[in-house]
Amino acid sequence: MIILDLELKDAPGELIKALTPISKMGINIHSVIHLREKKVDGRIPVRLVVDGLEDKTLNEMIDELEKLDVIITKVNNSIRKRDIDLVVIGHVVDTDIRDTIDRLNKYGLVIDLDLSMPDPFKESSARMKIIVDSEKLNDLYNELDKLSKEKNLLFIKSF
Amino acid sequence: MKVILLGFGIIGKGVINVIRKKKEYLKNKYGMDLKVVAICDRSGAAIDENGLDLELALRVKEETGKISKYPEKGTSLPIVEVIKSIEADALIEATPTNIESGEPAKTYIIEGFKSGKHVITANKGPLALYFNELLSYAKKYDRIFRYEASVGGAMPIINLAKETLAGNEITEIKGILNGTTNYILTKMEREKLDFDTVLKEAQELGIAETNPHQDISGLDTAAKIVILANSIMNMEVTIRGVNIEGITKITPEALSMANKGGYTIKLIGEVGENKLEVGPKLIPLDDPLNVKGSLNVAMLNTDLAKEVIVVGRGAGDVETSSAILSDIINIYLKSKKMG
Ligand SMILES: NC(=O)c1ccc[n+]([C@@H]2O[C@H](COP(=O)([O-])OP(=O)(O)OC[C@H]3O[C@@H](n4cnc5c(N)ncnc54)[C@H](OP(=O)(O)O)[C@@H]3O)[C@@H](O)[C@H]2O)c1
Repeated sequence: MIILDLELKDAPGELIKALTPISKMGINIHSVIHLREKKVDGRIPVRLVVDGLEDKTLNEMIDELEKLDVIITKVNNSIRKRDIDLVVIGHVVDTDIRDTIDRLNKYGLVIDLDLSMPDPFKESSARMKIIVDSEKLNDLYNELDKLSKEKNLLFIKSF
Repeated sequence: MKVILLGFGIIGKGVINVIRKKKEYLKNKYGMDLKVVAICDRSGAAIDENGLDLELALRVKEETGKISKYPEKGTSLPIVEVIKSIEADALIEATPTNIESGEPAKTYIIEGFKSGKHVITANKGPLALYFNELLSYAKKYDRIFRYEASVGGAMPIINLAKETLAGNEITEIKGILNGTTNYILTKMEREKLDFDTVLKEAQELGIAETNPHQDISGLDTAAKIVILANSIMNMEVTIRGVNIEGITKITPEALSMANKGGYTIKLIGEVGENKLEVGPKLIPLDDPLNVKGSLNVAMLNTDLAKEVIVVGRGAGDVETSSAILSDIINIYLKSKKMG
């Protein structure tokens, strides 16, 4: 038996979208548990229990799911991916937001970007979620530190 | 039990008021006859080896601003001389915090140990800068050193971790250790006001100090984190080793952004393995660390009990004095056993 912890967008059809490739691969799904009370930042954690698989099949399944933007946070309770929420304060846009995101994407994946610009001459703020492999977490933090100094941005992180 | 009080400001007066209020309680519950034999401020001291009249001392301070004006027993003797020459069981140190030198409190504390007194302090400065040195004096002279009020005011944390949670290894502590910044962020969030406006208002209300630098820059929280790291987690760190970011850059827009994602922003102090930092953090809205107004909160992560969370008032005269009183009682009970 394999336990997978996923994070899905809180929108209709997202669960079916995630389950389809799994059943297409002929993998038997035992149970689907919604952890609605643990919802963070618009995403819902879902726990899937599937039949035991060989590593190769397991990896193929993970690839298929990730292609569909499904976030797999844990496999059999070992943490694979973390998501970090960030609020950024500073001249977020004027300091080349494209470059900021590209540099973060070297270590993780920036999703759910949201910008607020009260006044084009004032500091703005942005919110984003970054999905990162557990082992790349420190690299990501280092990049955030560098960006913070270079572009005078304040990154407020979640734990 | 005889005590000497250094500093007769907000906390000093609070301590005297609490001692007055609890006189009967201490007698009945612990059989303790608590006498204040000296009170010092910048003008000098009032000294009476049989115990000062506390009501009179408060009145003199209120009316003249100087404890040295205490009738007959007032003196302009320097404080260090008072510490050395007056016999007492314990010294209660409540003079202003200096986060650069720790003085004059550091000298007072050391002189206290040297002259055979147990020491209680509410002062972060000397603890954040010279913790191990002060502790070595306490050991050398076989005296008790207590400082519950220095972190989190009335919120029990140091004695909770060291005594109540004895047997647990504490692996991480994080929390809001500064009431002023919590007040400011809470108000900015609720009323969508900018930082400067809320700070000014807090100063007018007496919640923020005229010089709020230590609070808003995160320095005050950093000093407290260092005290926790050294005293609870047996580290040997100083304030210079803390990564510090304050709250002056936080905007109401950023708080709204955080709220949209299910978070709020709080100034969090954190100590753990390879971690010693102070900075604004995103805290989930339904997290126990999301306490409002000027409250303080701390979460201790332990190996056996797992997470333990305390919430309480981080400032205030009577509130903070309650922590000092608990230290007095603890010293009384322990020294009775020491004989
Ligand atoms: N206020 C709180 O809620 C709170 C909470 C936790 C911890 N604390 C800590 O408690 C301590 C006292 O705070 P507070 O609010 O009571 O301060 P405060 O109101 O400014 O009182 C300071 C007292 O110390 C005296 N003093 C000043 N310089 C001195 C010196 N060189 N030698 C001896 N005495 C001196 C002052 O004398 P004069 O009266 O002659 O000016 C005054 O009586 C500080 O270390 C503070 O960080 C305070």
